[in-house]
Amino acid sequence: MGRKKTIQKIKDSELKGRGGAGFPTGLKWELAADVEAQEKFMVCNADEGEPGTFKDRYLLEERPLKVLEGILLAAYAVGADKAYIYIRGEYSKAIEVFSKIIERARKERILDHQLFDSDFKLELKLIRGAGAYVCGDETSLINSIEGKRGRSRIKPPYPINKGLFGQPTVVNNVESLCCAAEVLNPDSEEFSSLGIKGSRGTKLLCLSGDLNKPGLYEVEFAKITLEEIIYDLGGGIKADKELRFVVPGGISTAVIKAEDLDFPYSYQAFEERNSSLGSGAVIAVSKKHDLLDLMLNVSRFYMDETCGTCFPCREGNRQINKILKTFKEEGKKIDAELISDIGNTIKLAARCGLGQSSLNFISSIIENYGEELKIGGKTYA
Amino acid sequence: MLRAEIDGIKIDVEEKTTILDAAKKAKINIPTLCYEDGLSVYGGCRLCVVEVEGEELLKPACATDIKEGMKIKTHSKKVRDVRKNLFELIIATHNIDCQLNCLTCSRANNCELRIIAEEIGVSKMRLDPIKRGESIDNSSYAIVREPEKCISCNRCIRKCEEVQGIGIFTTANRGPKTVVTTFKNRGMGNVECTNCGQCILSCPTGALHELYQKDIVLDILNDQSKHVVVQTAPAVRIAISEPFSNQAGDISTGQLVTALKRLGFDAVFDTNFAADLTIMEEGNELIERINNNGKLPLFTSCSPGWIKFIEHFYPEYLDNLSSAKSPQQMFGALTKTYYAEEAGIDPEDIVVVSIMPCTAKKFEAKREELAGDVDYVLTTRELASMIKSAGIDFLNLEESEYDELLGVSSGAADIFGTTGGVMEAALRTAAELITGQKLEKIDFESVRGLEGIKKAEVEIDGLKLKAAVANGLGNARRLMEMIKGGEEFDFVEFMACPGGCMGGGGQPISCDDNVLEKRQKAIYQIDKEKKLRKSHENPYIQKLYNNYLQKPGSEIAHKLLHTKYKARKI
Repeated sequence: MGRKKTIQKIKDSELKGRGGAGFPTGLKWELAADVEAQEKFMVCNADEGEPGTFKDRYLLEERPLKVLEGILLAAYAVGADKAYIYIRGEYSKAIEVFSKIIERARKERILDHQLFDSDFKLELKLIRGAGAYVCGDETSLINSIEGKRGRSRIKPPYPINKGLFGQPTVVNNVESLCCAAEVLNPDSEEFSSLGIKGSRGTKLLCLSGDLNKPGLYEVEFAKITLEEIIYDLGGGIKADKELRFVVPGGISTAVIKAEDLDFPYSYQAFEERNSSLGSGAVIAVSKKHDLLDLMLNVSRFYMDETCGTCFPCREGNRQINKILKTFKEEGKKIDAELISDIGNTIKLAARCGLGQSSLNFISSIIENYGEELKIGGKTYA
Repeated sequence: MLRAEIDGIKIDVEEKTTILDAAKKAKINIPTLCYEDGLSVYGGCRLCVVEVEGEELLKPACATDIKEGMKIKTHSKKVRDVRKNLFELIIATHNIDCQLNCLTCSRANNCELRIIAEEIGVSKMRLDPIKRGESIDNSSYAIVREPEKCISCNRCIRKCEEVQGIGIFTTANRGPKTVVTTFKNRGMGNVECTNCGQCILSCPTGALHELYQKDIVLDILNDQSKHVVVQTAPAVRIAISEPFSNQAGDISTGQLVTALKRLGFDAVFDTNFAADLTIMEEGNELIERINNNGKLPLFTSCSPGWIKFIEHFYPEYLDNLSSAKSPQQMFGALTKTYYAEEAGIDPEDIVVVSIMPCTAKKFEAKREELAGDVDYVLTTRELASMIKSAGIDFLNLEESEYDELLGVSSGAADIFGTTGGVMEAALRTAAELITGQKLEKIDFESVRGLEGIKKAEVEIDGLKLKAAVANGLGNARRLMEMIKGGEEFDFVEFMACPGGCMGGGGQPISCDDNVLEKRQKAIYQIDKEKKLRKSHENPYIQKLYNNYLQKPGSEIAHKLLHTKYKARKI
């Protein structure tokens, strides 16, 4: 089909990145392909760390050949002859499975050799992550592969211009690559005929929380509502408890209240609600949980996981945790204005996406349940 | 050219101009903390964030290039609110309490946090200070680190790595536990630190400062049984007035001497005298090595930061180092022998104090090979603080002359304070000693200036001398690699600090962007105005050789004025 056509096909499919940010995959490949360079890299981001997300793990363990296919196609399209797959360190089984796949592919002359008499040859290396959430951010991941501290890089330059070892690098999420492989599979259904404009194809959902039937599901965009996802796919709330809210895309996304679930699952529908479908981690939270416990839990996570480079994220998350803790321990009123000020500062000034979205969950809880929490009822902006 | 608008002011800038630089052009100050000229952009503190029209999130001015048509607001309400909140977050981690710690801080007079507080109009502090419980790093003879004051701006890390090419600091842990530390938290005294003190100049918060000896010296000055002798390094006289006048480039040699006398030193001498002596010994060594096919190139050995650097990183070249001690150590050795004899004082009662632009000199004085020559080393900053605390009106002091025996020096000694100075001083003397004729032109322009590496070829009586000069350890490493790669030189001057001693880690912390140029100009001014401009013409040097040392390289000179260094591990 050739490189140009491959990229065009991905562009036509309107595939968006499935890691959380939703950047158009075809455009990314095109930009990377257009950069002139001696050497280019393809990196598969399998550092799945967003709490509640386990779709990439499934793909790596159960559909590793599909992942490998995606890596080969992406590398071919952008003109990379070296690729890395960076797998979350805790994913022991996925690492074992994929290591074997790489070994076999080498033996079968799929890797390290010219493929099907073409001029394309790919070396693929597996890197095991060391447990940092921030390394799911593409520039942090690149630093980590280089042996540097896992911290985000200042953008621009973007990885497609100057990424791994200073060379143009395209970084794609595992699910995105599998989707791309499906798009390019002549036997599969036309990807772009699924879903609606702006939200094409299918999405893997990781259902968890207080659901009767948690697990991994694949849905077609916009053909199912969030309500149906919770009550039909997920089988409703466990032990006949009442649902309070849904975390729609991992804990870096704003919550959707139980009474507001009746809308089709699509990128734009979440955007309209100031949230995001993120990584596809749908967490149902019933009323049996203490809101403050939840906020503290999430706050603790972000406090521990900030890379420590930029001040708003490092110090802001530390202070938010401290404020929530004093509320918890002493039962005194919480300074909503202070939380709001710190939250805004993190959102507006943090250095990377991790920091900017680190307060999304907490601020949406305060916004929606402030009165219930008796924290002054002040709107959290 | 790109056209942009900053706070309503239209400006044209070149491509790849940051918002920060463009704002400077428009005479707008954007507060910065982790940013430092000459270091890579870190983008951590986020205090320089600005609003860019059409963008929801704020952009760091230090790390964002101007784009055509960009409209920027540097001080909108959104921006100011974020900066104030950020500042509160920063201050909460800086260990501010009311136990006098702002007043006793090394940066009490020029705290960057205080300056920024003013720039962003801080009006409230709602967060309690966070105690991290980290202990002070006292492992070094030269530099103290107070981690509780550190805000992890990484300027020290970048200075050490990018300018000095060493990298003793690193970031450890993540989240709020993120700290700046040394390898395995061993402490600055137990890693490859050269003690150059450049990190101190970069630290905005006083988390790094020299190991203070000023209080001990003040006590000793009160001890009547001690004869306290002081020496002042060449680069002190052109910087000591800065903490008083807030301007760079003033010469205050006379006031410096008066102030030291008022502080109660029994004899005020000049390291410059020993610098002239160094030229005699080192110059003699050079001529001998050239004549006897000795090891070349000969490397200077005045800079203790450079010495520790070569011991760690290029031990195979230790034999290239001149065996001459540094001027500080020569001075100490002579004070406790020659001066003691001449003045009829028991050497046991003599205390030698040095005023140095340098933190590494503190380490040098404690080295086992050299211990005993010099008892205490104070930085220029420490002396300024002593002068202030003694109520001396420094700027308006009358001038005095150094005491004679070890206080008279040539202009060749003065220029030891700048990069290229030792080389030029040596060339002046070597040329005349080799040819036996008077030099017509004694200014060697080719080794002057602030470039990191300078190379020159000088012809003396048919002998072609290939010289090189490096300042800053990053450049020292580059030059060493050239030498390793086969480039040939006869004589090489190395100074650990950018600019040489005048840019030393013990110098006043300046807010003048052109401080090195100004200090350098002052140094050459002193030299130019001196009648005596060649070390070998110094009558007190001649007297010293006639009465005591006999000749350069003599047995007694070797005993007192020469040493050997050792290889250290990495």
